[in-house]
Amino acid sequence: MDKYIRNIYRGVYTVLVGMRVTIKQFFEPNVTHQYPYEHDYEKKRNVREIPKGYRGQLYNRMEDCIGCKKCEMICPVDCITITGTKLPKGEQLWDSMNIVHLKDGREAIGIIEGDDKKAKSEDSVTLTNITSRQGPQEVIDRLEPSGDAGRIQTFSSDEISRIVTRNPVVFYLDQFDIDMSLCMYCGLCTEVCPTECLTMKDTLAGVEYSKFDRSDLIFRFDKQEMYNKSGTEDIEAAD
Amino acid sequence: MSDFRAMLASPYFNVSEGFFPNINLQDGLNWAEEFIQNVVIPRLPEAVAAHFPVELGTVLVMFGCAGIFVGVFPLLPLFLVLAERKVAARFQNRTGPMRVGPWGTLQTLADGVKLIFKEDFIPPQGDKFLFLLAPYIIFACSFAVFAAIPFGQNILVSDFNIGIFYIMAISSVIVMGVIMAGWSSNSKWSLLGSLRSAAQIVSYEIPLGLSILTIVMLVESLSMQEIVATQSNGIFSWLIFRSPFTFIAFFIFFISAIAEVNRTPFDLPEAESEIVAGFHTEYSGMRFALFFIAEYANMFAVSAIAVTLFLGGWEGVLPGYDILGGLPGFVIKTLALVFLMMWLRWTLPRLRVDQLMNLCWKYFIPIAFFNILGTGIWGLIFPEDTLISTSISCAIIYIGLIAAYKVAGRSLAQRPAPQPS
Repeated sequence: MDKYIRNIYRGVYTVLVGMRVTIKQFFEPNVTHQYPYEHDYEKKRNVREIPKGYRGQLYNRMEDCIGCKKCEMICPVDCITITGTKLPKGEQLWDSMNIVHLKDGREAIGIIEGDDKKAKSEDSVTLTNITSRQGPQEVIDRLEPSGDAGRIQTFSSDEISRIVTRNPVVFYLDQFDIDMSLCMYCGLCTEVCPTECLTMKDTLAGVEYSKFDRSDLIFRFDKQEMYNKSGTEDIEAAD
Repeated sequence: MSDFRAMLASPYFNVSEGFFPNINLQDGLNWAEEFIQNVVIPRLPEAVAAHFPVELGTVLVMFGCAGIFVGVFPLLPLFLVLAERKVAARFQNRTGPMRVGPWGTLQTLADGVKLIFKEDFIPPQGDKFLFLLAPYIIFACSFAVFAAIPFGQNILVSDFNIGIFYIMAISSVIVMGVIMAGWSSNSKWSLLGSLRSAAQIVSYEIPLGLSILTIVMLVESLSMQEIVATQSNGIFSWLIFRSPFTFIAFFIFFISAIAEVNRTPFDLPEAESEIVAGFHTEYSGMRFALFFIAEYANMFAVSAIAVTLFLGGWEGVLPGYDILGGLPGFVIKTLALVFLMMWLRWTLPRLRVDQLMNLCWKYFIPIAFFNILGTGIWGLIFPEDTLISTSISCAIIYIGLIAAYKVAGRSLAQRPAPQPS
């Protein structure tokens, strides 16, 4: 009889202990992520820094692209497709120019006096602003933050971070498609790119870009994007 | 048509005087007729009202009520299956279904649509007639139980004077459907599952019935509405606190009910890891869905019966106030018990067959008999439910629980030292 009552007591007791354990779990937070909608970094859990130089999604800065097709040729899986049209003789999108990137983030666009290749080693750089370029008005607006045509500016070498030289653009890129579902992230295309316009994003936006449809993974960089201001804003926001 | 009432009153038709004494079919007719006379006819134009067929209208109103009943209750499992999945997910720190509808609320609907369109496979070697019949028997019986459950003062199908007896009887027929399904499937899993189910349900009917008997002894009625009516004076008049023996009977009833509806830890008849899905292994498509719906309807039904018998039914917590009372209160109490079932499911592992039978025959049945004896003595000492009897009962329950916790203490719960063999 003693054993019988002990048995009942132990049964009830152990069930209650078990129920206490499970009800504690009931009020624990979820561990599930609704992955495509919700990422680790949104929940601020298990977030790791993406290393510098990580080979993420390919991005092409179309303004600098000269359509040389080197990336298309070197791509081992043929994920890049480029189609270009040469402009008729005498037409060009814009003239030759220099862009001076200043250390405080501003850009000055114009033509450097003297040899631009030597400009960096000199103490100061003299820049003549230009406006008289062919091409769509939007592009001209964007490329001229530094004021009136013909104004002469001088920058000391302390101010300048880098100087970019742009050749006259006589070439339209009709199509520049990168199929990221094929890409193997080898990074060869970014190495051969002569203008360094094709890069791989080492940010979260370059890592988390999963899509529901495979066709959404074909990223089309085209002229429209080139004229589209919001395109650059997106990239800045993503960074 | 004019002889309609006379026909119902005739001894050939009137069930009330024949088989069961006093099933109030007549009352139901009166109610429907009053509805026609007082609500419908005054709103009609006079020319129509003069020739309005009252008898036909009465029948139509009754069919309408039946339609509401038949339409609403199959929707319960839709909700319960989703609740089960969500609660299960919560116990495992998951989210459960999330994709179909907002927060996955339409998941069961999607599953239902899928099941309707699936192939309805019939085993060629099996007994086709029984195979086709079995799901309907189980489905019909589990929904027939709802006919006697009072959801509110006037929200019930029929308040006949043998309500709880009817429920016991009709829910026992389910085991027939289970055996039919197991036999006709011509599959060893199904046969094993159905025989396990039969053994289990037959065993657990006894403590279930005996603990219902303690209630019936105190209330002196089998009618569900009368059982509820005796619990109308607040929480301490609920039958679970009426005497210490009904307190024990509640737990025996509830655990036996879990075994009756084949839920974990008593899910041997459909143990996935042993016999695939038990008696419904061979079923697919809509027939499988019928089993599934019946299972969840049963779960709700036994919880509703437990609430009606022990936890005050649709009566509230305080006398005179409608807290936890009426239909919402009834549903809340029932869902709380359903949640308790789910909680137990995710706490306890499945029992072995011998443990299952041990629990029933060595523990529940003796305790249930002891309960009946005790309730009889209690009824002799306190023939009326008074303040004194209630306070004595509550005091005994309280002291018993405290004693179990403090005096017996954890030493009893310790595993006894192994005996040298």
